[in-house]
Amino acid sequence: MRAYELMKETFFRRTYIWIVHVIWLALYGVFWWLFLPEAPEFGKFLFIWAGFFLPLALSAGIFGDDIASGRICVIVTRPFWTGELYLYRLLGLSLQAAVHLLLAGAIVLTLHAIMRKGRVDDLGVWLLATWLLFNTCAALSTSLSIVVGRAFNSLLLLVVIVTGYFLVGLLTIYLGRQPSTDALVSFIRYPWPPFELLYKFARGEYERYALTVGKYSVAKSLACVVHSLMLTAVYSLVGIALLSRRQFSRVRD
Amino acid sequence: MSDRINTRSMAAVTGLLLEGWALYVVGAPPERWRPALIVREEPTARVLYETMIQTLREARCLSYTSACSNPDDQSSTYWIWLKKPGSFGVDFINDASLKSTMLLDDGRSLWIHWTGDRPTLLLDTERSREDPRSNVYIKKASLAAGGSLRNEVALLGTAWVGLIFDPSVFYGGPGPLVIGMDGIRGRGTDSVQGEECDVIEISLLKARHICYVWISTRDHLPRRFKEIVRGAQVRVTVEEWSNVTVNAEIPPKKLAWSPPPDWRQWDPPSLEDSLLQSGQEAPDFTLCSARRGKLRLSDYRGRVVWLYVWDTGSPQCRAEISGFQQLYREYPDKGPVFLGFNCSDDRRIARAFLRENSVTFPSVLDSSEAATRLLRVDYGNKGGILPLNYIIDPQGRVVDGWFGQEQDPDRVLAALRKAGLGLAQPTE
Repeated sequence: MRAYELMKETFFRRTYIWIVHVIWLALYGVFWWLFLPEAPEFGKFLFIWAGFFLPLALSAGIFGDDIASGRICVIVTRPFWTGELYLYRLLGLSLQAAVHLLLAGAIVLTLHAIMRKGRVDDLGVWLLATWLLFNTCAALSTSLSIVVGRAFNSLLLLVVIVTGYFLVGLLTIYLGRQPSTDALVSFIRYPWPPFELLYKFARGEYERYALTVGKYSVAKSLACVVHSLMLTAVYSLVGIALLSRRQFSRVRD
Repeated sequence: MSDRINTRSMAAVTGLLLEGWALYVVGAPPERWRPALIVREEPTARVLYETMIQTLREARCLSYTSACSNPDDQSSTYWIWLKKPGSFGVDFINDASLKSTMLLDDGRSLWIHWTGDRPTLLLDTERSREDPRSNVYIKKASLAAGGSLRNEVALLGTAWVGLIFDPSVFYGGPGPLVIGMDGIRGRGTDSVQGEECDVIEISLLKARHICYVWISTRDHLPRRFKEIVRGAQVRVTVEEWSNVTVNAEIPPKKLAWSPPPDWRQWDPPSLEDSLLQSGQEAPDFTLCSARRGKLRLSDYRGRVVWLYVWDTGSPQCRAEISGFQQLYREYPDKGPVFLGFNCSDDRRIARAFLRENSVTFPSVLDSSEAATRLLRVDYGNKGGILPLNYIIDPQGRVVDGWFGQEQDPDRVLAALRKAGLGLAQPTE
């Protein structure tokens, strides 16, 4: 019951959350309607909108609002492990994303059936990759929300990720392939949200462009999924540790 | 309490192991060449391949859409219409571009034109870049006599990703999958766009190239190709066919074109126009040798040098190099110094090839960016076309340069004589 209440809260905590869902779902439909994309094109769109922007929108101030209002002091005095508060909220976001992506898939399949244009072959893989990316970004944003005031966690994550990728991209173009840029790219590739790896996974790079046909490609795809889940777990553990150690004052932030 | 700690430790160790494995797998560098990659012949797979080729050659008309892509997010889409005896139409466009290139062969001439202005081509020189680009077309001799459509597209240099499978196979051409084939084996079945396919693996040139082909079990025509080229870098390209139609009538406008009245014919420069011209100084270099150490061009001042740019992926180079070795052995002092230059092969593959062919003449084996730039920019081989020959005189000046095997032995003799040698017999 407690778990259900905590998960439900992630959806009902702000009115704008269901509006975000509706707008995002409408965007998928409009994109398909206007551009009649193939699965990879739609996949890229979904990957960024639902995998990156949606968790930012849904997790904005997920803890920051409670901390700012002082409500967190009441919540943490309840007789359960503080980590559960974090886990169920993250699970709530993850379940919202799962339902959201299933609805997005249904919209696209319906439009595809009506218009009989475009291709939806790899849609399932794109939805899975998007959900995995959503989870890592949501975990990172939720953890940030514990230390960043109000709803600035999402804004900070957006700025850091966009700036980071922009700078690395610029350096790679400017300096070309060198050991230093390779090291920088590896630094961005593994501990940050796995945009590149999941994008390659969804795009079938580990299958379509793998060096062999068969087992090797399956192992690479599986490794991408495992890495993404591990990152979600690590970001969550950091968040739980921060939440458990922080002393909340009754004075509003 | 200790149970809880144990559970946490177990979870942490399991997590670390899983993450370690995941990082090891996703971070693994591309698989390098090794002899075990060479495919052994399987008769059943050979039958599948032969049936595919026969089906293509027996078809009267064939049209399909070919989507070619690589992992660098580049893709080119080709719409191909083929009709026997020798007509074809090819439109292609790069991903996100609006400009399409159209090639059309009506059996008499090959026409090439574009939507909008002509783009910069691989063949363009500094001078030809200034030529008018609006309302121009290229007219060449028909490929019906036996040319390669794939090479023609590659020569333009406007496609981001080239075709793997040469449509000229439809007209009876050998296609790129035959030359230097090591063997074919089956790799089970798979589905491509809902089409059940047999998958075969073809190894070429001692596994320097590996090609996987998905052949439809329904019509025995290919649906997907995946080519892996193990050169200095491992390069993967995928070509996927869709809308495959056999023996259906092709709209006449796809196979016929005449230039609008205000359009002008534009003659592109030849490939050799980009090469160093006679009298120009051959740029000096110090690059890694096939043997240990460095190799410097200027060390051969005072001798006539035959610079031979080769790689193991070119069937012509593979065939020619033994001839050069023979000349090198027979005329160690009187003949030119043969100097090999290879910047596009994996060093292991190239050294194995030299050993197998008992090649002892000096050769550069260097796949560094500096070596590639030297060849492409300083030596004017923009398209990386091989083999490339340069005759360099004892003062280090270029006497002549040409691509491929020179068909005119007199030209080679004249170049060698001009450089300071007098050979009585043609070198070919």
